[in-house]
Amino acid sequence: MPSRTLSSRPSSRRRIERYSFYERSVHWLAALTFVYSALTGLALFSPKLLWIASVFGGGEVLRGWHPWGGVLFSVALALMFLKWARQMRIDADDRKWLRGAHRYARHDDEGLPPSGKFNGGQKLLFWLQVLATLVLLSSGVVLWFPEATGQGLRLAAIVLHSSTAVLSMSLIVLHVYMGTAAVPGSFEAMTRGEVSEEWAREHHAKWSREVSGS
Amino acid sequence: MGEPVTVAKLIDTSTCIGCKACEAACQEWNDHGFRISDFDGTYQTRPDLSHDFWNLIRFNELDVDGGMAWHMAKYQCMHCVDPGCLRACPSPGAIVVRENGTVDFEDEHCIGCGYCMTGCPFDVPRRHPESKKVYKCTLCSDRTAVGLEPACVKACPTSCLTFGRREDLLAEAESRAQTLREDGFERAGVYNPEGVGGTNVFYVLARADRPEDYGLPRDPRIHWALRFWQGPVKWLGGLLLLGTAIGAFFHYLRYGPKESGHAVENAVEPAVEPAQD
Repeated sequence: MPSRTLSSRPSSRRRIERYSFYERSVHWLAALTFVYSALTGLALFSPKLLWIASVFGGGEVLRGWHPWGGVLFSVALALMFLKWARQMRIDADDRKWLRGAHRYARHDDEGLPPSGKFNGGQKLLFWLQVLATLVLLSSGVVLWFPEATGQGLRLAAIVLHSSTAVLSMSLIVLHVYMGTAAVPGSFEAMTRGEVSEEWAREHHAKWSREVSGS
Repeated sequence: MGEPVTVAKLIDTSTCIGCKACEAACQEWNDHGFRISDFDGTYQTRPDLSHDFWNLIRFNELDVDGGMAWHMAKYQCMHCVDPGCLRACPSPGAIVVRENGTVDFEDEHCIGCGYCMTGCPFDVPRRHPESKKVYKCTLCSDRTAVGLEPACVKACPTSCLTFGRREDLLAEAESRAQTLREDGFERAGVYNPEGVGGTNVFYVLARADRPEDYGLPRDPRIHWALRFWQGPVKWLGGLLLLGTAIGAFFHYLRYGPKESGHAVENAVEPAVEPAQD
């Protein structure tokens, strides 16, 4: 793992590259297409929510574009998968971390095993999203072409697609909270690509040791 | 004026002669035009309904006592009392139930998602290939609104089709089935399936014990998956989504952000430099 010190900052604190330009681009492509698919999907979820459609050009426009939003998101997620799948492997430490996640939530981190580039929670989110995307994409295609599919299959798809979507959106609400308000420094990590050494040590001790080579 | 009247159409298959006058009348009234049909070796005009063909006489061919018999039956929207299409539709106003019980599609509100095709227990709605908007029989709501009977009923020469008040027609249907039974069609009866709350288009069948022979589903009902989606998935899903957001908010109020703690404070004066090499 190459370590890189970015010296463009006035601060004397050393910054570590956490996410490359490519990683950030893929992440934000996924984020953007997820939000689009989620909001347009909510509009199609219930007659009570179709008002959302007015922001996206109306119901007909949204019906035409929602599937493409989903396809783009799937592509972004596939790229993420190719980039991160190996680093996302859940090991024994991560399982221990996940069992102690309630302590992490209370900021009582003592005794939690140190994390690599991603902690157990991030890894679990990643794999749940991969799984959800497989379900969403396959059921979505069925609903996209109702003339080409049987009614029984479409009924199954309609239930799977919306329940998976809601679960996935709830996870992303958590993810956004964690990545902004809950863990200062992590939003900057995904926008500017860097974190402080202290941040790395604090949140991802194993990774921090790897990149600083000590 | 007074109480709104529920209207209905009775299709007495025992008097259908397969003349297709109803098909022609439907095409003409709804301005759908005529085109060369797909010939598939039967007397049927077309293999299936389409966005611009709402009324199809199915020439169901059956082996009866070593010979061929037709069980001709009109295939169209059933105007269910509990319409599955409406349960599935996400667009307010795209599918409406009129005061007289007619289930009508309003294409200016239709967004073309095709969910109604998934919700319909009779497989009736069809999408326009370009606009993706969905169309089906309107029970000639533009005629019935001004006191005319539907075009197909007007054209029917054998009184196979009758239009009127629902209660009157149900009684008429029962009496016709009774007559058939007296004439030796012991299993004659009325097809007005309860699984969809009854329909406003119902049939007299000489073989009511075998609706499949007429191309009609034996026990159509609102599918449990549709009910499940329309009920628990929607409100539990909404609850989960809102709950997560509210939960995150209160987590912040209670625990605040995960600060890098003393590590950050120490870093202001970088007393401890990591060992180099």
